[in-house]
Amino acid sequence: MYGLGTVLLKTKKGGLLMKLLLLFCLAFLSSGVAPAQILKSTDVKLSFFSEAPIEDIYAVSNQGLSALNLQSGVVYFNVSIRSFEFEKKLMQEHFNENYLESEKFPYAEFKGKFGENIDPDFSGSQAVTVRGELTIHGVTKSYLVKGKINSADGKLVATADFPVALADHRVKIPRILIKNIAEVVKVTVSATYDTTAGVAGESTASP
Amino acid sequence: MKKVLTLFFCCFWSLLLPAQVDLADLFNDSIVSEQALPVLATFKSPRVINAQSVETVHKHDLVFLVLHRFGDLAGGNGGAETFFGLDNSSDIQIGFDYGLTDSWSIGLGRVKGAPNGVNTFQRQLFYLNSKYRLLRQTTDERFPLSIALFGNSVLSGMKKMDLSTSDANFQESGDRWSFVAQLILARKFSPDFSLEILPTYIHRNLVTYMEQNDLFALGIALRMKVSRRMAVVVDYFHNFRSQESEDYFKQEKSFRFYNPLGVGLEIETGGHVFNMSFTNSTAILENQFIPSTSSSWGKGEFRWGFSISRTFSLDKSRRDAGY
Repeated sequence: MYGLGTVLLKTKKGGLLMKLLLLFCLAFLSSGVAPAQILKSTDVKLSFFSEAPIEDIYAVSNQGLSALNLQSGVVYFNVSIRSFEFEKKLMQEHFNENYLESEKFPYAEFKGKFGENIDPDFSGSQAVTVRGELTIHGVTKSYLVKGKINSADGKLVATADFPVALADHRVKIPRILIKNIAEVVKVTVSATYDTTAGVAGESTASP
Repeated sequence: MKKVLTLFFCCFWSLLLPAQVDLADLFNDSIVSEQALPVLATFKSPRVINAQSVETVHKHDLVFLVLHRFGDLAGGNGGAETFFGLDNSSDIQIGFDYGLTDSWSIGLGRVKGAPNGVNTFQRQLFYLNSKYRLLRQTTDERFPLSIALFGNSVLSGMKKMDLSTSDANFQESGDRWSFVAQLILARKFSPDFSLEILPTYIHRNLVTYMEQNDLFALGIALRMKVSRRMAVVVDYFHNFRSQESEDYFKQEKSFRFYNPLGVGLEIETGGHVFNMSFTNSTAILENQFIPSTSSSWGKGEFRWGFSISRTFSLDKSRRDAGY
């Protein structure tokens, strides 16, 4: 195998093409040294709201995790089902035990891609769409979510809300409770990324 | 030329690889560390059938509860004449449980009492109990068991009975008291199967002649899910009664003691757990059903029992926080 230098020396007649190739190589090398900009966030708030004739149910988790690759537009969310807090503890227990079965399916996960390019340096608000796969209760479904990204003071805040039909994720409601639990709940997500701390995946310390 | 191109692509691919890292992998550490959570719902309510479960009432929840035991389903006192026991009520409990913290609850109430007229006569019982969760089983198996302590003190409010050998022939106010101390060791083996054992000590200040003031028993209780919303529950207590006492009651009173066995079906509806159970014991409180069960499953002397509970969430701080 020839080294890069010797190859180049030996093929002097290659001329312009070779120089271009070399340039490409160098460009890639340098882009490899400066890693793809991945923003990581542990400041993720997720909540859902169920509106039914007898009672409204609201639960919230502040323990979501998210990562965003600004170059590729790939975005990732993860939340522990156990971290959702309800007003009624008993309801929280039933949510884990009977509905989401968190012992078997401890996390909800979303893997998606932005439809638009996101410029980390812009300031203001930008409407975005994300297409991706949401896994809840072990069942994966495709979603197209409309959201917003706000950028200010070195922080990117992504927010979105979207409906989730419980039946889509095989979460069953007993008929007797059909007036207590909505068949479609509204999920709200808000993630704050620090753009000044954008780092490569490998070197990121865990929170 | 080819070599150069190969080289070019080698560079290209090796550089592309880091960009292919799955974003999910970034959180491997933090997700693993979240696994050490306390195991939820080893049992679905603070009571299995007769036995206490390892569960306590959640913090600032007030539970109103009614427990009922009907009469014998079959046997001499059962059958169609008593509508399979539904005409009779052998014991009734009405009380409240309250969660002081997520691991400490107290309860108080009134129980009818189910004397059998041979070794026990006390009725009109008032109780004050306390259950404290010492340790909780964790999802990462760092601690494999849940442990709780249960204690109950019971006072009989009935009029003194004029039968000198009975446990209701109260001479002083202390004679009206009896106590239970119980250790509850539980483990949820899988989402569908939980088991607990309950070493139990009962002390009664006044007992019938040849009855024991101090009695040890060992309980076992289990819960097995048979469908997503239905579970079979079973509990059983073994008495360590002295042979002397057992022989006396058998020979002099032709009276046999039986160990209480409860079998039930739990139906969860999300908000409530309905409990349909059958047990040979007539009484509801440990102080009575452990030492004084004299009815036998084999003779059809078992009864239907149910419990109704309603939970009120009184936790203002959670409500104000917008949950």
